[in-house]
This record gives sequence, structure tokens and C-alpha cells, in this order.
Amino acid sequence: MNRSATSRARRLLELLLTVGPGALWLLIFMLIPALLMLEASFLQRGPYGRLVGPFTLANYLRFFGLTPEGFDPLYLGILWRSAVFAAGVTAITLLLGYPLAFAIATSRRKETLLLLVVLPFWTNFLIRIYAWIVIFQRHGVVNAALGALGLGPLPLYPSWFAVYVATVYTYLPFLVLPVYTAVERIDWTLLEAAQDLGAGRVRGFLHAVLPQTLPGVVAGVLLVFVPALGTFVISDLLGAGRVILIGNVIQQQFGVVRDWAFGSAAAYVLMALVLLGLWGYARVAGEEGLDRLV
Amino acid sequence: MPRLLKLHTYLVLAFLYLPIAVIVALSFNQSRFGVRWTGFTWQWYLRLFHHHRVAVYAENTLIVAVASTLIATVLGTLLALGLYRYSFRLKGAIRFLIYVPVVIPDIVMGVALLLFFAWVRVHTGWLRLSLTTIVLGHVTFQIAYVALVVRSRLAGLDPALEEAAQDLGAGSYATFRHVTLPLILPGVLAGALLAFTLSLDDFVITFFTAGPGSTTLPLYIFGSVKRGVTPEIHALSSILIAATTVGLVLGRALLRRR
Amino acid sequence: MKRTLISLLAVLAGLSLARGELRLFNWADYIPEEVVAEFERRYQARVIIDTFEAPEAMLAKLQAGGDAEYDVVVPPDYYVLEMARTGLIRSLDPAKLPNLKNLAPEFKDPAYDPQNRHSIPYQWGTTGIAYDAQAVTRPVDSWGVFFDPKRYAGPCFLLDEMRETIGAALKYLGYSLNDTDPGHLAEAKKVLLGAKKRCLGFAGGVEARSRLLSGDAAVVHAYSGDIVQIQGEAPQVRYRVPKEGGTIWTDAVAITRRAPHPELAYAFLNFILEPRIAAAISNYNSYATPVAAALPYLDPALKDNPAVFPPKAVRQKLEYIHDIGDAIRLYDRIWTELKSR
Repeated sequence: MNRSATSRARRLLELLLTVGPGALWLLIFMLIPALLMLEASFLQRGPYGRLVGPFTLANYLRFFGLTPEGFDPLYLGILWRSAVFAAGVTAITLLLGYPLAFAIATSRRKETLLLLVVLPFWTNFLIRIYAWIVIFQRHGVVNAALGALGLGPLPLYPSWFAVYVATVYTYLPFLVLPVYTAVERIDWTLLEAAQDLGAGRVRGFLHAVLPQTLPGVVAGVLLVFVPALGTFVISDLLGAGRVILIGNVIQQQFGVVRDWAFGSAAAYVLMALVLLGLWGYARVAGEEGLDRLV
Repeated sequence: MPRLLKLHTYLVLAFLYLPIAVIVALSFNQSRFGVRWTGFTWQWYLRLFHHHRVAVYAENTLIVAVASTLIATVLGTLLALGLYRYSFRLKGAIRFLIYVPVVIPDIVMGVALLLFFAWVRVHTGWLRLSLTTIVLGHVTFQIAYVALVVRSRLAGLDPALEEAAQDLGAGSYATFRHVTLPLILPGVLAGALLAFTLSLDDFVITFFTAGPGSTTLPLYIFGSVKRGVTPEIHALSSILIAATTVGLVLGRALLRRR
Repeated sequence: MKRTLISLLAVLAGLSLARGELRLFNWADYIPEEVVAEFERRYQARVIIDTFEAPEAMLAKLQAGGDAEYDVVVPPDYYVLEMARTGLIRSLDPAKLPNLKNLAPEFKDPAYDPQNRHSIPYQWGTTGIAYDAQAVTRPVDSWGVFFDPKRYAGPCFLLDEMRETIGAALKYLGYSLNDTDPGHLAEAKKVLLGAKKRCLGFAGGVEARSRLLSGDAAVVHAYSGDIVQIQGEAPQVRYRVPKEGGTIWTDAVAITRRAPHPELAYAFLNFILEPRIAAAISNYNSYATPVAAALPYLDPALKDNPAVFPPKAVRQKLEYIHDIGDAIRLYDRIWTELKSR
């Protein structure tokens, strides 16, 4: 056996040992179940909410509003609203989370700080959201504080403001953790070099530091934007159910309406759009851009 | 740290702990339906100690979170490492596969796993719903989060380091153990922390993969939306926060002494 | 820790656990711990309680094989017949349930499950209007407080429950809760859109009562038991079924068809029909009990409370929610449109 054959066999073995278990796991427990639901999205709601044939495109046509009576933008409008909401949440989370991740990664007590950021999220989600209502309600924490200053009360609950605050709160660690890991390994000599070359603080940061943290930012933005796109509990509770997001639509089909077929179709449209976005990004950013995304 | 950055950090931490302060306050509130302060009491803590079911639920939650985090951290880290290091034919497909658990709505993933487990059970008798199936479900979404966080650490890692080690005669495992792992460890820990947090708080996927006797705290808490969450849960949350904080302080003190 | 590990191992090995075990699938905090402990003591059994947060999720789990895992389930009235027809729950043998005699006459042959063939009633209640007597600006006696601008009585919340809320609008307009006529539903949508403009929003049952307690709302659409539960702490809060009528609902208790421990399950059903036990359950939940023989043991605050046991004239105007089949999509459409304006 020659050397290149052994090294190729070894490479294959290493590949199987690293990528193999995780990929197999996802194949069995994610891809196969997801295909079951994909099939469901082409079926129809039968008696007692069961799935029945024949195969049909009706659920997708309904989602895109292509009805025999003409175009109906109901669901596409809801999808658009959810995307705008998720984008807004992501932007604010980035503004709050990036500097925080930076501060943690450059601190001497980084492990403690990191744990401090994650600790609140070990309390149940629902309990935290209820706490936000107590903060924003008419005689709540914020209005009591404002009252002590002789101000207010403000109508904070229910409001979009409250929904944004609680959603940003919920997803903050999803952004902080990946950005932290990227900042933590920054090569500071690049910044020194830039400053030696006469770059100011801002330019030094933009040219020597920011690019190095981009992989973390991209991962963090994804981990915030994508889940935020599917939320509904927070907007139901802090927005008093006044708006409907795509998450509500899907939830509703698996709940009282018991139309799993339409619910799955809506979910697959959502997933397809996000994956298409990723694919587009990979095309534009090239191999290097793709590398940043796992 | 620049002063402005420090101020920002304190403000965001205050933001993160504001709801926690409210929860701790409500755990001492006399009102069973606590949205307004009606007076101080210890009764919810006392009742909690007699509520033996909550202890079982908390235990289930921890077992699932620890087991699933361990598995997912190992698998997710290896996955990220392999994808970073090698090029192969199915790489693009696997990359997209990793995104599926992040992108798929919880309810769809939960129902999908329920149907899948039922299908396997009918044909093989395996995968009866229990704590084990919850762990299987959690690992599935955790792998993706761990892989993404670890990958953001690997991106831009200087390949020269690994190559140098191998040129010096270190085998793949030795290179991994002494060069790669120390470099990516912060990413692995951050990924594990995220995975643990996600497991601890998951409701939807847990519900559809849980069997008899494997109720976790989130299942119990979401189940009480019909009758209202009792302040005992606030007391439990407060104890958990206090215990973790004490553990943290003690751990640091011990480390410093060494 | 040890106990869980052992049971985990047992499950892994596919062994069935101790014979004296009852597995109950229920809402959380819907049965008092003393009642469970009493059952465990008397029948030398262990009761495992798992919880769900939506009946549809409970159904999905039973359909996927859960009917062989759980012994006893607590479905809402409108799913009982369907569960019987689809083979998820079994027909009951009345000979094993001598305490059926304790039921009030109207629960011996309920419309949702004639002659209690598949289930026994557990708790019942109504859906109506709750209000803060000190905060409302007008008398509250009609669904008009939500749907008629001239009767607006203060900041309000509607229930965030599709069937209940559309049902309330239908009732206000004089139709049935289960009406599926597209014209009637269009009218309901119109009044709901008006209500959405005037009210603060939609809230779940418990959330609605919290809004009343917090002072954000003066009038809310609510479940009777949720409100009765807080009256001790907040006596200014009142509950009534509007003059147009409201919803009556019953949570039922049934035995799964493939229950692993059917004898214990029968014992449990019979047990919760005992007068003192049924009274303890109602005292804990603040809902009405269908067990007439339990009345002497009820807290006076429940027994003499018209919000818990409405007078006959009110009861005649109450209606059950039925499964309306595919017409649910019409409701879904209206609900989605209502929420997206």
C-alpha cells in the first residue's frame, strides 16, 4: 500500500469520526422527521383533524393567496410583518449585545460575566415574560418609578415597545455567546499595527477589529433573527394578542384548527425562505462567506 | 475597559436582572395571584418544600439538560471541526442540514419527532416515550447551536498552527488535544452554555417527546396556564438563582486560594 | 435522583413499573395534592401526573400511542365523543362506577356524552364577563360592554380563545355559539373588529383576571372559576353570565382504551365521584362540581355563589361548544383577519 492511499484512508476515517456522528444524528432525528412533515404539507385536513389524501398543492396556494377568487395577501402580509419585526429585534439585540460581548471577552472576569449573562435564562421563559408584564403594567414597576419622579403613567402595556423589549431580552444571549467567542480570539497586534500606521480609534476598530469578529456576528444574527421570526408567545402576552405573526398562524393550525397540513405548509414556506436567504448569502459572499456559516 | 463600555455593561446587566428582581419579589408576595404587592410572606417557600412533585420535575429537567448538553457538545464540536477541516462532496448538504433545527418552528419539530418516534415504535418496539426520548429531541436542536457557535470560533483560526504541530510529528489526535482544543475551548464552553440554557427552558419539543413520569419544570409551568402559575414557582426560581450565585462565588474563592 | 434513575432504567429495559401505579394526564394544578395522597394511601398505589397545556396537544400525544401509556385523561367536553369514536378512550362499565349515582341529574346524561358512556364529568363552569365593580362606569349585564360602543364600561380585554371569543360575538348577535353560517360569522367579525378598537386586547383566562387585579382593565371576558378564585382577595371583582347567554363547559375524565392499569383507573374515577372528594376538588379549583352529593361539603363561598352555580334562568341560556368539523376553517379565517387588522 502506498503512502497516499493510507493517508486517504486515514482522512476518511477522521472525517467519519468528526462529521459522521453529528451528521448521522441530524439525518435520523431531523431530516427523516422533517420529511414526514413535508409530506403532511401536501395532504389535507380530514375528519377529526387527521391528515388525508390525495396529494395537493392547495395548502401552498392558500398560503400564497392564489385563490380561485383572485390574489389574497393575508398570509404573505403576516409573513412580511413577522420578518420586519424579526429584523428590528435583531438590530436592537446587536446594538446591545455586541458591546456587551466585547466587554466580557476583554474583561479579566470573563467566565463570571458570561455566566451572569446566561443565568437569568435559567428561569422559566413564561415566568420571565410574566415578570415583564408586571414591569410594564399600569401600576407596574416602571410607572411606579416614574410616579416617584412625578411623571407618567405611560401606557406601556400592551404595546409594541413592550413586545420589542421582551423579545430582545429573550434573544440577547443567542447573540452575545457567538460574538464573545469571536472577540475572545482577536489578534490585537492588528489593531496596534493599524494604530502605528496612524489610524484613529474608530478606523482602527473598523479595519482591524470588526472584520475579525464578523463570523461571530453572522452566527449571532442568525441565531436571533431566525427564532424571532417564529415567535408568538411574547407578542401575545405583552402585545395582548393584538397582532398576528407567522408563528401564531402555524401554532393555530396545530392547535384549535387542527389543520396540520396547512400548518406544515406555512412552516415549510418559512423554512424555505430562510434557507434560500442563506444560500443567496453564500452565493454572494463566496466560499469564504460560506465558511463563516459553518 | 473604556468607561463607556463599562457603563454599557452595567446597564445591560441591570436590564437582564430587572425581571429576575421582580420574580424574587413576587416569591415573597402574599397574593396567590401576584400582580400587585399585598404584603410579605415566607409561605411559598414553605409550601415548596412540601410539594414533592415539583422536586421530581426539577430533577427530570436537570437530568435531561445535563445529559443532552454533554452529548450535543461533543457531537456539535466534532461536526464543526470536521466541516472546518475537510472538504468533501456532501459538505454543502450537511451545512444546510445543520440549519434545519434552527429554522424549523418548534411546534413542527415537536410534532415531527412525535410522529417519527411513534413510527419507529410501531415497527421496532424501540423509543418508548420517556426521559430518553426527550434527550434525543433536545440533542437534535442543541447540536446545531453548538456547531454554529464553535464554528464562529474556528473561522479565521490560523491553519498554520495545526500544520506546524503536524509537521513536528504530532498525530491528528495529539494535534487536536494539545493545539486545536485549547484554541476552541471558549467556543465549546459558550456553545455548551447555550445548549444547556435551551434545554432547561424548552417546552414544545419536550412536550411531544415526553412519556409518563417524565414531566419537566417547563411542562409543569406551561400546564398551569389554565389555573395560573403559583408563587411557589417564583420561590423555586429564586432558590435556583441564589444557589447558582453562591456556587459561583464559592467556586471563584476556591480557585483563587489555589 | 436515585428513584428517577431506577425508573429510567426500568423504562429503558421496557419493564412495566410497579403494579400499583396510576398515570394521569391532566392540566397542571387541577387536582389537590391531598386528594391524590388519599387515593395513593387507600389503593396502595402511586399516582404519576403529567400535564398538558392544550387539549389538541394532548390528543396528538394519545393518537401517537399515548393511549397505551396513560390510564386516565381529562379532555374537554367537545372532544369526548370524538375520542371515543377514534378509539382513544374506552366505553365505561357503569357497574364499576357505583358512585355515578352521586351525580346531579343534568350530568347523568350530558349532551356531549349521552349517559356518560365514555366519561364522567370532573368540573364545570361558564364563560362570561368579570368586572371591577369600583372601576366600571356603566352597569355590566350584556356582551355589549365589548361589542356596543354605547355600552362601553371601561378598559376591556377579550379572551384570546378563538371559539370562545367568536362565540361571544355570535351570542351577542343572538346566534348560536356553534353557528357556521358565513353571513352570521361575517357579522360577528364586524362587531369583533369594533371591540378590538375599543379594548386593550386579548388575554388568556388567567391573564384576563390578572389584568383586572392589576388595574389595567375594568371589564374582561373570563372563565367563572378563575374569577371566583380571586374573590377572597379582591371582593370588588364580580362575575356574571351576560343576559344574551354564555358558554357552559365541562372537563371530563375518561379511561384510555389501552390503559395499562384499567382497574386502578376505574377505582380513580369512582373515587373522584365520592361526595367529600368531589367537594375537595371543587374547593381547590373554585369551579362547580357535577356531584350533587358533594354540595354539603362545599365551601359556602362556592355553594351560595351564583357565579359558581348560576340560577336556573341563567343556565337555560348557556350553550356547549361543539366540534364543528371543517367549518372551523371559517372561524380560523375570521380570527386571522381580526388579528391582522
